[in-house]
Amino acid sequence: MKKTLAIALSAVLAFCPAPAFAGEALERVMQNGVLKIATDLNWPPQSFLNDDNEMDGFDVAVAREIAKRLGVKAEFVTPSWEVITAGKWAGRWDISVGSMAPTKDRSKVLRFPAVYYYTPAAAAVHKDSKIRKPSELSGKVVGAGTSTVYELYLKRDLEIFGAPEFSYQITPKKIHSLESTTVLLDDLRLGDGVRMDGMVGNFTTIRDAIDSGYPVRLLEPPLFYEPLAAAIDLGDEEFAAKIAAAVKAMREDGTLSRLSKKWYGVDYTAAN
Amino acid sequence: MHADTVVSDPLIQKPRIAAAVLTAAFAAFFFLNFADTSFGRMLAETTGGGDSFARAGAALALALLFVGNLVLISFFPVRIQIIAVWLELAALFAAFFLVFDLNAMFIQSKLWFLISRGLTTTLYVSAAAISIAFVIAVAGAIAKLSGNGFAVAIASFYTSFFRGLPLLMQVYLIYLGLPQLGFVVGAVPAGIAALSLCYGAYMTEIFRAGIESIPKGQWEASRAVGLRFGAIMRRIILPQAAPVVIPPTGNQFIAMLKDSSLVSVIGVWELMFLSRTLGTKTFQHMEMLITVAVIYWILTMALEVVQARIEGHYRARR
Repeated sequence: MKKTLAIALSAVLAFCPAPAFAGEALERVMQNGVLKIATDLNWPPQSFLNDDNEMDGFDVAVAREIAKRLGVKAEFVTPSWEVITAGKWAGRWDISVGSMAPTKDRSKVLRFPAVYYYTPAAAAVHKDSKIRKPSELSGKVVGAGTSTVYELYLKRDLEIFGAPEFSYQITPKKIHSLESTTVLLDDLRLGDGVRMDGMVGNFTTIRDAIDSGYPVRLLEPPLFYEPLAAAIDLGDEEFAAKIAAAVKAMREDGTLSRLSKKWYGVDYTAAN
Repeated sequence: MHADTVVSDPLIQKPRIAAAVLTAAFAAFFFLNFADTSFGRMLAETTGGGDSFARAGAALALALLFVGNLVLISFFPVRIQIIAVWLELAALFAAFFLVFDLNAMFIQSKLWFLISRGLTTTLYVSAAAISIAFVIAVAGAIAKLSGNGFAVAIASFYTSFFRGLPLLMQVYLIYLGLPQLGFVVGAVPAGIAALSLCYGAYMTEIFRAGIESIPKGQWEASRAVGLRFGAIMRRIILPQAAPVVIPPTGNQFIAMLKDSSLVSVIGVWELMFLSRTLGTKTFQHMEMLITVAVIYWILTMALEVVQARIEGHYRARR
């Protein structure tokens, strides 16, 4: 009985498709003349819907530029962040230009051909809070986006390739894990200690929230700088090389710095 | 409920009951503490009674207002009572939304996009899914009733599986799982597939009950005149079962309209997706969430009216 089952199973598996071959992704992009880019729309100012309900932001601009340099059209899809970071894209889209940090776990399922900028990660508290330094958040309830580098930082399990040196300053009592930084900010604005005592997130997103009137205060200095990279599916070295070359050229001719200054007001394209 | 013919005064008009409600309302308002409202502050200033006096005064005023309102409404005919209470609840809700200090200009600027892109997508995903679910349900119900071992097993496995899993998980399984088998499906087809498979499973049970509600005599008479199984189903049983199953199908459609929000996780630009996305840049997502909530609500109310018409139509034909 067991033997028949094993034979039946292997017969079924024999009809499953073989893994991707080298050069496949590049060939698909060049043949269709379209670079399909996956971007989560919930992370301003990297990617969001602008006043005209069109996709806009730093990541979107970089992605368009990469497509231009490959000589193909850019096309965007918007799956949720967990779906993008899970890998195994099966050719649904070719690349993620979504400010993804190349962590150890992610590099098991994705390939990171090019880091295109570095952003500071910072802790923030409600403006009524007495906390002045990040380390004072130890033993408190601290928020972070689910499966983000900020959550990994709080778990003391952050390994990013190419990240500048940093140290863990916070040992939270409990991590308040929510879908995204914007939802966390909504929780933090409710009041000091209502749902959490502080949060860790992208410095620029938090600063933009403060500029929009959120009763939140950033704790200086930034906790760490995360390198952020474009990601592609595993298995196509030629495609990886092409992307790396395109980003390198953008860095060298100043395009990246120009885009960074446009969206952040600061040049984030080199590690500080 | 059975209509009672014994007429008595409304409860709230009995002094004891009214007094009890008044006491309870006073206690509740006192507990919630309305001293720090403009009315409470005014009370504290004009009488000079201090904070606890303002708290009790505000609670008493609100409790009197509440009970007075109940007593007043109770004198009107039932229809007017219902309308009055609806309007008051709606006003309370509107007041609740106003607390958020929403930006009306922003809502106005995004409303058309929400409708033209979001609502349209929600409607066509739901409509496509309910049509496919309808076909699946007919097949599933016939299979379950067929007496063929294979058909019964497959159909009951299907209903058990898709009714036993959260819909969100089915969306992920179909979107992420199928590509591992070599079938790369887009977000919209994957979402429609998940919705129709899930609702098809629920509707299979509705259709099965509908078919079973046709008296045995119909089957026996059909057999007696020499019809085959297929012909009996098509010409005798299903036409009679339709009035039984169509109204609950409408209910399923209304439910699906809201469950279709789950396909937002795979990046379909329907109402829910846009409500989470449109306001993020300017941190105005509360505006979008509330607007979309109202759109869903209005849509459901409109569909409930249609649903009542359909039910009335089939009731009249019996």
